[in-house]
Amino acid sequence: MCSIKGSNLPHGSSGEKSSMRLLQKIEEGRFIFTAELGPPKSSNGNVIKKKSKHFRDIVDGVNITDNQTAIVRLSSIASAKILLDEGLEPIVQMTCRDRNRLALQSDILGMAALEIENVLCLTGDHQRFGNHPEAKNVFDLDSIQLIATAKGLGEGYFLCGDPIKTPPTLCIGGAANPFAEPLEFRILRLEKKIRVGAHFIQTQPVFDLLRFERWMKLVREAGLDKRVAILAGVMPVKSARALQYMEKEVPGMSIAKDIMQRMSKAGDAKEEGIKIAIETIRQLRTVKGIQGIHLMPLLWESITPRIAEESGLLDRKLQTTINHQAGGKNE
Amino acid sequence: MAEPIKSGWLVTRQKNSPSSIEKMLSRIFLLFENIIKVPLFRCQRCGECILSHTAFVCSQRCPKRLRNGPCGGTGKGGTCEVYPERKCIWCLIYRRAQLYRRILLLNRIEKIHNWKLEKTSAWLNVFNKRIESPTWFFRRKK
Repeated sequence: MCSIKGSNLPHGSSGEKSSMRLLQKIEEGRFIFTAELGPPKSSNGNVIKKKSKHFRDIVDGVNITDNQTAIVRLSSIASAKILLDEGLEPIVQMTCRDRNRLALQSDILGMAALEIENVLCLTGDHQRFGNHPEAKNVFDLDSIQLIATAKGLGEGYFLCGDPIKTPPTLCIGGAANPFAEPLEFRILRLEKKIRVGAHFIQTQPVFDLLRFERWMKLVREAGLDKRVAILAGVMPVKSARALQYMEKEVPGMSIAKDIMQRMSKAGDAKEEGIKIAIETIRQLRTVKGIQGIHLMPLLWESITPRIAEESGLLDRKLQTTINHQAGGKNE
Repeated sequence: MAEPIKSGWLVTRQKNSPSSIEKMLSRIFLLFENIIKVPLFRCQRCGECILSHTAFVCSQRCPKRLRNGPCGGTGKGGTCEVYPERKCIWCLIYRRAQLYRRILLLNRIEKIHNWKLEKTSAWLNVFNKRIESPTWFFRRKK
């Protein structure tokens, strides 16, 4: 993977961009910028159309959350189809919480039939956090097994071993949390995900660069950055309260003290949140082994263009070499 | 430890259904297994035992019943995301694996759980070659 080194291909027109698929961009080693979109808690598909305007011509892919934090929302595949019709490249998130092996496979096939080829395989939040805590969870597979299943489907066989006449074309993603304990196990698990066939990895939002760099160092030592595209997560926050809430309530989150202080002292918290996000992106781009940024503007999609512009992500097309090619030597 | 990527590698297949004698035997075996494994490992009776790979801590105590490692929600100090008063079982497994020097075994990709084997005797399943036998010893390469 990522064998083609940077060339000075002229890019820029939006037409060219839409014709190129995410998988192709990853394999060419380009710098990737993806964003996240939460479907509405209603049947109003226009919400997605409206939100998609903020992403057009800016991002390479849009993640569609699958009943995020176990709260019922519009189906991720249906939302992805709406996005696709709007001319964007959707990345469908698929969790193991709600589906057993039959439903997962059938949904992946269905997705491919709608010409959606990007799938992010996740274990999923426990239903205890959501608005239906009494539900029966499934967790028939875990995220690693789901990636392996998707890979198998792409190669033309079902889990049971039966062949598929028309196998789907898939670009498979996984998630990684550099901030959860135990750190070394995270690398092990990441390696498993890559081994079974993940093309890209998106991380949890970075609020603690030091910890992220420690994780990234272990990733580089294991040589994993050369086998997969790692997209670092960034989340702009609107207020100090949101940040405090995340530290307390969202498990597996690590927030650096200085970011917390900056947010709570800031006069204009929103502005400070944007500034922090932009700074984080700039710093992340200098970290060796990072091949992209994954922006998670939680219900704040309209901020994407500004962050992309001010952090210099719009001219990423010129930066085609990934820094991990230089990275190995300096270590 | 490369996994074989061939069709059907991720699932355990039960070719023939158990005979009536085996069902009876299974009950007896299960009784003994429950007496030993439940108090010792808090066994959840999944019938597809991977205790030897997870440093003899039952991974099925995880609320998500993960078999391949922790989810992304492990809190500070290694707490479970679902029940914050509990320890993350995978943190415990990792610590034990370090202690017993069995980290290498955590590299394995565990197969998807065969729900037909739920509440059957894992010992008998090993004997009948339905599931892999436990790994007691392995070569530690450095």
